[in-house]
Amino acid sequence: MVAFILTATSFSSKAQCDTIAKVCAKHIIASFISDGQQYRSLLLNPDETAEFKTTFFGETVYRIAACSGLTDGNLIFNVYDQERNIIFTNKDAKNAPYWDFKVKSTVDVIIEAKLDPTNSGSGCAVLLIGFKQSKK
Amino acid sequence: MFLCLLDKVQVMSKAIKIAWCVVISLSMLVITSCGGGSDKKKADTEEIPEDTAKSVSAGVLNVGGELFSIPSPLQTAMLMQSSGAAFDKSILNSKENIAQYATDYSKALNLGIYGADLGYVSMYGKTQESIVYLTAVKKLADETGVSGAFDVKTMKRFQDNMSNKDSMMVLVGLAYSSGDAFLKTNKRFDISGLILVGGWIESLNFAISANKIKSSEAVKRRIADQKQSLNSIIKLLSQFETKTNYTELIDGLKDLSKVYDTIEYKFISEKPETDMATKTTTINSHTDVNITKEQLDLITEKVESIRKKIVNPAKA
Repeated sequence: MVAFILTATSFSSKAQCDTIAKVCAKHIIASFISDGQQYRSLLLNPDETAEFKTTFFGETVYRIAACSGLTDGNLIFNVYDQERNIIFTNKDAKNAPYWDFKVKSTVDVIIEAKLDPTNSGSGCAVLLIGFKQSKK
Repeated sequence: MFLCLLDKVQVMSKAIKIAWCVVISLSMLVITSCGGGSDKKKADTEEIPEDTAKSVSAGVLNVGGELFSIPSPLQTAMLMQSSGAAFDKSILNSKENIAQYATDYSKALNLGIYGADLGYVSMYGKTQESIVYLTAVKKLADETGVSGAFDVKTMKRFQDNMSNKDSMMVLVGLAYSSGDAFLKTNKRFDISGLILVGGWIESLNFAISANKIKSSEAVKRRIADQKQSLNSIIKLLSQFETKTNYTELIDGLKDLSKVYDTIEYKFISEKPETDMATKTTTINSHTDVNITKEQLDLITEKVESIRKKIVNPAKA
C-alpha cells in the first residue's frame, strides 16, 4: 500500500511538474535561447529550498523564470554571488515570475527557490534559464 | 498534512482527487492500525535516500538536495562567431563516426556533442552542415528514446528556419530542453547527464581549437571560466560511477579539474543595480582570472584526450 502511495505521488508530481514547466516556458520569450535544461524540485513546505550553482558568462543577458502552481507569484527565487551576497530576490518585486540579469563579466552564481508561505500553490518548483548576447 | 498536499495538487481532476482521498484514508488506517507501521515505511524507502527519493518523484536531476546546471554549449558557439574566429569544420565530430556509437552511454554523450555542433554550424549560417548535424542529432535522439524532442512538428520548424541562425539557436535550445524534461520525468538521469556532459566537452573543444589557431582574451577567458561547470559535471556523474564506462570519464575530468585548481581567480564583489521598470538587474561583480600558457596547454591536452575517447570509442 505504501509503495502504491509513493508511486501514485510520483505520478501526480510528474504531471504537475510537466504542466508547470509548460506554463513557465512562456516567460522565456523568443529573443532568449533556452539553456536546454529544466530545473525541477518538489518542495513540500516553505522551509524547503531548491538550490543550484551555475556560471553566468560575461556580455550576456540571462532570464530566469520561476514558477510553482498554475499562476504567477507562488515562488520566491534568490540569486547570490559566490560569496553569498544577495544579487536579487523577486520578493522585492512582488514575486515576479521572471527577471533579467545583465552580466558584464563572468560570475559564478547560486540560485535558490522556495515556496511563498503566503500563497497557496503546487509543491513543484520549476526554474528555467534563457540567455542572449548583450547589445554592445 | 495529506489534505494540505491534496489542495496543492491543482492539476488533478475532481474524480482523481476523490479516489486519491479514499486511497490515502485507507492507507492511513492500515499504517496506524498496524504495529511497526513506521518501520515498514522506513523499510520501503530505505533503498533510496530521502533527498533522492524526493528528487526522483519530481523528475529532478538532484543529488543530496542539490540541482546541477551546466551552461549551454550554444553560448560558446556564439562567442566563437562573435569573437571573429573563422568557421572550422575540422573541429567538429564527423557524421561518419555515428556508426561507432553502440551503447546508450556513447549515444548520449555524442547526442550532446552533435547538438553543440549543430549550434556551431547554425551560428555560422552553414545550411548544408546544419542539415547533416540535425540528421545526426535526430538519429541519436531516436535511439536514446528522446525522439519526442525532435518530432515531426519540431523537424518541420527546423527545416523552415534553416537559414535563420537566430531561430535555429532558439529551436536547438527548445529541443534539448524538451529532451531534458522527458528524460528527467522518466528517471533517465544518467542519459540526461551524459547529454549535458557531451555538450559541455564540445563547447570547450570549440574554445581550445579557436585558441590554438588565434588566441584572444575572450576565448582564453571562456576556457578559464569552466571551473564551476567542471565541478558540477564531476559531481553529477559521480552518482553513476558504478556503471560501465563512467569511471574512466570521471577520472579524466578529475584530472582536468586539478589543472583548473591551479588557475588564479580573484572575485571582486560590487553592488548590483536593479531597474524595477525593465525588470533587469545588472551584475557588476566580476572575477579577475590569470591563466598561463602552460595551463592552457594542459587543459587543451586533457580535453582533447577525453573528447577523443567519446567521439572515437573504436580507436580509444
